[in-house]
Order: sequence, then structure tokens, then C-alpha cells
Amino acid sequence: MSRLKEEFTTTTWVMIPVAIAINIAVGQIIYTLKIPLYLDSIGTVIVGVLAGPFAGALTGLLANLIWGLSGWNPTYAAFAAVAAVIGLLAGVFTEAGWMRAWWKAILAGALTGLIAAVISAPISAYVFGGVTGSGTDVVVAFFRGMGLGVLPSTFAQGVSSDPLDKAITFFLVWLIVRALPLRFIARFPRAEDVREAEGSPATN
Amino acid sequence: MAQSYSLFVARESFVHRLNPLTKLTLTGLLLVSGLFLPGIWTNYLLFVGIVLPLSAAAGVTKQLVRSAWKIVLPFAISLFLIQGFLWPGGTPILYVGPLSLKSEGLQFAVVSTGRILMIVSSFLWFSLTTRPDHLMNSLSRIGFPSNLAYVIVATIQIAPRFQSRAATILDAQRARGLETEGSLRTRARALVPLVIPLVLSSLIDVEERALAVEARAFNRQGPKTFLIELPEAAWEPAARWFMVVLMVSILGLRVYLAITRWRS
Repeated sequence: MSRLKEEFTTTTWVMIPVAIAINIAVGQIIYTLKIPLYLDSIGTVIVGVLAGPFAGALTGLLANLIWGLSGWNPTYAAFAAVAAVIGLLAGVFTEAGWMRAWWKAILAGALTGLIAAVISAPISAYVFGGVTGSGTDVVVAFFRGMGLGVLPSTFAQGVSSDPLDKAITFFLVWLIVRALPLRFIARFPRAEDVREAEGSPATN
Repeated sequence: MAQSYSLFVARESFVHRLNPLTKLTLTGLLLVSGLFLPGIWTNYLLFVGIVLPLSAAAGVTKQLVRSAWKIVLPFAISLFLIQGFLWPGGTPILYVGPLSLKSEGLQFAVVSTGRILMIVSSFLWFSLTTRPDHLMNSLSRIGFPSNLAYVIVATIQIAPRFQSRAATILDAQRARGLETEGSLRTRARALVPLVIPLVLSSLIDVEERALAVEARAFNRQGPKTFLIELPEAAWEPAARWFMVVLMVSILGLRVYLAITRWRS
């Protein structure tokens, strides 16, 4: 209980809507650049990293529910649990010290993406018939053509896109955390897990 | 709310006057029915029999059909091509060159498209007819934590501002000569100079916001009063309970069907 209180400070509560709006606005940049990635969880990962796993999980959950209830992306609501796990894992990896070095951040992102693919495959297979309605469906088509079931084909589709997507997301968040003023980071409970105090020897 | 991240369309209608909780419960009932009721055409029947009349009553049919079509069509195309033609084994019913349309695959595609249509259209109906702040107001009255209500309302209000900030950063970086078109490599390189300034400038707001909400008694415990009153018809609470009972029955039916199938 004290742990939850420590994570959910006023700064964290105020940070969550900002983070969700970041997810939405970055989605718009990706749309303009026409890059075949989602990168729609940068804000969620930032909250997980700076405030902790439970705050990250709540951010992911609410982000996808708002996408659904606002009417802009109703299909996202079905994946709210997956988004929550992504935020949770961002916090867990940070506490294990994985957000201190860039290559560890990329590895943490790839692992998070792999786990996200495992959880989203059954949802995608049951609710959406295993397709996403986007370009990555060629992967589903390929494995279905080889005679694989709906669930394994959906999983293959997830594995082909999620780990790369989340690795890039975590790397961008690593860059962002480096660029934030120390005074800002110090407002968050997990400050010591992401960056050493100025002047102390770097560990990476 | 001058501009908000919501599809809400202001109208004077019976549906708009319903309590947001009643509409939320109905949306939940439609989702549960769509996902768990058996039958190939169930979702299409629900769509034509319930969702369409309800959106016609609210005067938002055009918006609902247009948005639903845009979202559901890509799924439908993928489903019919992939699951219809690449279904392993199965009974062929139509030959197209070296491929054939399988009846099992076609049935799977019809069922899945129906589910997606149901999820998308019920969420759309809810968001087109419900003001987000009214929803949060009525949820807070039945004990929904005010912190969470703040998060949802704040997100819906600030998202459009962040989107226009993203557009400003895009213009500014282009003016400095950043290439945002061309090969995938060129476009990927534009990612960092666009995303980092957006995120950093947004995060800097957080400190000010934290001070602002604390100055407005954000952490105050205890009962709160409400600025706006949301009237509701006398029958609505009973209707909500009835829909909750229906939802539980559908889930029960589903579990019962699964058990009997598993036993045989």
C-alpha cells in the first residue's frame, strides 16, 4: 500500500493524461511520416520508467480505454490489458537497472514486445479473426498459406512487428530521459533508477 | 469544451438525454452479446436491430456508418482474403485461379467481421452521443475515483492541443530543412527530431500542472459536490440493473455451452 502511495504522487497523476496525449500525438507524427511502426506507447513507457510499474500499467490501460471510448480507435480498447502489461514491464525493467544503458533499454524493449505479442495473439485471434487490417497481415497470410492455425499465425504476425516496435520505443524513451532536466526527474519516485546524480561516475 | 478528443455530436434527442451510465451499460451489454452469443449472423442482427435504430434516434447514423465503415473495411478485406482463401483443408465452394474459397474460412470471416462491426459500432454510438465530462460526472457520483475521472477528462481535453503541437513541430523542423518525405530511411531519420521535442516540451508542462491542481485541492479527501446536475428518467436505474442481469446471463450461457461441448 505504501508502495502504491509512493508511486501515485500528484506529479504522477498529472503526468498520466500528458503521457496518453503524447501517445496520441506521436501516433499522428508516425501517420504523417508513413513509417510502418506503431510507437503508440512512448508516453506509457515514460510513466512506467519515471513513476513505477503500477503507474505505467494504469497509463496503458486508460490510454487504450480512452482510444475506445473517444470513438477514434474502438479496436484498441480490446488490447487494454496488453497496453497495461507494457507499462508494467517498463517499470519492472527500470527497477532492475535496464534503463541505464542504451543497449539494455533496447533489449528490455524487445523482450517487452515479445511478451506483448504473446498476450495480444489470443485476443486478436478471438476478437478480430487474427488480422489487423494493415500491411503486416501478409505475415498472417503467409503462415495461413503454410497451413498453420489462426492463433500461431497471429502470434507470428505479432512477433514480426512488436519486438522491433517496442525496442525503438524504449530507445527513444532512453534518449528522452537523458535529455530531461535533473530537477524534473527528481520529482519522480524512481529518479535514482534511471540516471545517476550529476557528478557521480557513470556506470554505463 | 471548445475542442476535445471525442467524436461527440451535440443534438437534442432522446438518446442524448439518457443518463451516461445507462448508455455505458447498454454499450457493455452490446459488447458482451457481440462477443459471446452463438450464431453466425447474430452480430449483424444486433447491428441492424439495435445499434442502427438507436443511432437514427440520436440523429448520428451518417457519422456512425461512415466511421464504422472506415475502421471495419480493412479488417473485412483481410479476413475474407486470408481466412476465406487460405483456410487449410476445408470445403471449396468457389475457384479463383489456383486458389479456392473455403466454406469454413468464409464462415469464420463472416463471424469475425460481425464481431468487429459490433465492437466498433457500439463504441462509436456511445462516443457520438455522450459528452465525456458528463460520463465522468455520473461515474464519480457512483463512487468512481475522482483521480481517474480527472485523468480521463484531462486527456480528452489536452489531446487536440498536443496534436496541434505535433503539427507545429513538424512545420518548424521542415522549415529548418528536415526531410520528412522520400525513402523509408529518410523518413525514419526524421523520427528523433520530431518525437523528442514534442515529448520534452509536453513533459515540461507537468510541473506547472501539478502545482495548479494541488492549488485546487486535488488531494482533498471526503465527499465532493457537483457543478452540473444530470437529470435522469425514473425508469433508467431499473433498466441498468436489467441489462446487467442480461449480461451475466449471456456469460452464464456461454460458460454452460462451453462445458457441455467439452463433456461430449
